[in-house]
Amino acid sequence: MRRLVTVAEMTLRELARRRGVLLLLLLMPLVFWMIRRDTYVGQSIRALLLGISWAVSTAALFATSAARELEPRLRLAGYRPHHLYLGRMLGLWALGLAVSVPFFLLTVFDAANLRYAGIAVAMLCCVAVAAPFGMLIGALLPRELEGTLLLLTVVAMQMLLDPASPGARLTPFWSSREIATWAVDHTDGGYLNRGLLHATLVTVLLIVTVAGVFGVRLRRRRHLHHAPLT
Amino acid sequence: MNADEWLRVFAAELHQRRVAADAARHVVAEAATHLREGGGDPWLVFGPPQAYAATIVESIGTVPGPRPGPVRLDARGITKRYGRRTVLRDAALTVRAGQIAAVVGANGCGKSTFLRICAGLVSPDAGEVTVSGRLGFCPQQGGTADFLLPDEHFVLVGAGQGVAREPARRAGRAAARQLGWDAQGDVLARHLSGGTRQKLNLTMSTLAEPDVLLLDEPYQGFDQGSYVNLWDQLIRLRDAGRAIVVVTHLLNQLDRVDVVLDLTPAHQGGHS
Repeated sequence: MRRLVTVAEMTLRELARRRGVLLLLLLMPLVFWMIRRDTYVGQSIRALLLGISWAVSTAALFATSAARELEPRLRLAGYRPHHLYLGRMLGLWALGLAVSVPFFLLTVFDAANLRYAGIAVAMLCCVAVAAPFGMLIGALLPRELEGTLLLLTVVAMQMLLDPASPGARLTPFWSSREIATWAVDHTDGGYLNRGLLHATLVTVLLIVTVAGVFGVRLRRRRHLHHAPLT
Repeated sequence: MNADEWLRVFAAELHQRRVAADAARHVVAEAATHLREGGGDPWLVFGPPQAYAATIVESIGTVPGPRPGPVRLDARGITKRYGRRTVLRDAALTVRAGQIAAVVGANGCGKSTFLRICAGLVSPDAGEVTVSGRLGFCPQQGGTADFLLPDEHFVLVGAGQGVAREPARRAGRAAARQLGWDAQGDVLARHLSGGTRQKLNLTMSTLAEPDVLLLDEPYQGFDQGSYVNLWDQLIRLRDAGRAIVVVTHLLNQLDRVDVVLDLTPAHQGGHS
């Protein structure tokens, strides 16, 4: 447990010292929200959720890329792969929650007649999915530029696809859109249930995939044998 | 180099050349007294510290080094190809406790790859490595976190071994001092100079008290004093029974190592 907490803490410390990145993390959802604010409250909240998803995914991508050289030596220092990826994920989830709080308060003060608990749940889903999603891209693509372009593609696809189309369900952040519809348009509980189920499935699937990728990358190689110390 | 610096380098040289501790202390004290009373530049009075240490060794001799212990690292038949290019062919290295091995060779001959294979970070196409005890690895570059303080690096590495924060910090600072570096400051790793950053890298690799220490050109960016401190530290670790493998392209330090593996391909005049 000490190892997990230490990796999470160091992830947070690293990100907290990147003031420029933090500023952009807050700026991005804010810009998404402001652009849509004058048209329709539902649109602005959906854009805000997408902005949070994009921001946390990007932070996860950069944190994973930055740790690529450090992790093998931490593995030799006694960490197991799950300490490294779960610790980092915990740190990123904590950061995502911290980023979401001011935006949740913004919606509370800015828009009336919403299901605010639904907005909070939608934000939680965004953060839950975004951290492992960004980490997975960071683990699969060694260069940050390629990872950022892929993230951009996914978020743009998410924004442009009709949420009712079958393909939209294959995008990672579809859940937040469903839950936001429930929270803003006061639709039936089916939206909330579908959103929660989608977020849970996608988060679990992403965590399992991240575990697999890290497990392979940081595996104990077959050619290396350990003999007892004499 | 002032007199104090000269004396420090001279003392380190005597230690590295295995002059008995009492005799070395006596010689250094005599030299210090001579400089204090007679004045003058030590370079003019005694010459370079390395040369003067060699003269002293000739006259008073050295203590025999500890006998090498059991095998700690045994790499056999290591072959590695990148595409059609074979960078390592049937390379082998055996290092015992209390030995320093140097891996040398021309640029691109696979020195770093060999070390990473020994560390288990890269898989070879053929061959096996057997390690007895805990492994430590210092990469040539990277291996530190830009936005963490040195103390936080020590805490992070220490936690891997289940070491609490304060003891990890203390151990890290003590190991850094052996390299002539005070690691107490609040300076992020990205703001450290290249040499100091490499000291952090090196300190991290020794922090877990590894039985086998693998170092990939660990002296990059070091000044002369730091370079001497590094070898002083390595010889101290060797005398404490560690097995050390150093990738290096500086041939002048080979007289301080026990085993040499030359990875230069045979047609270029090397041998494995």
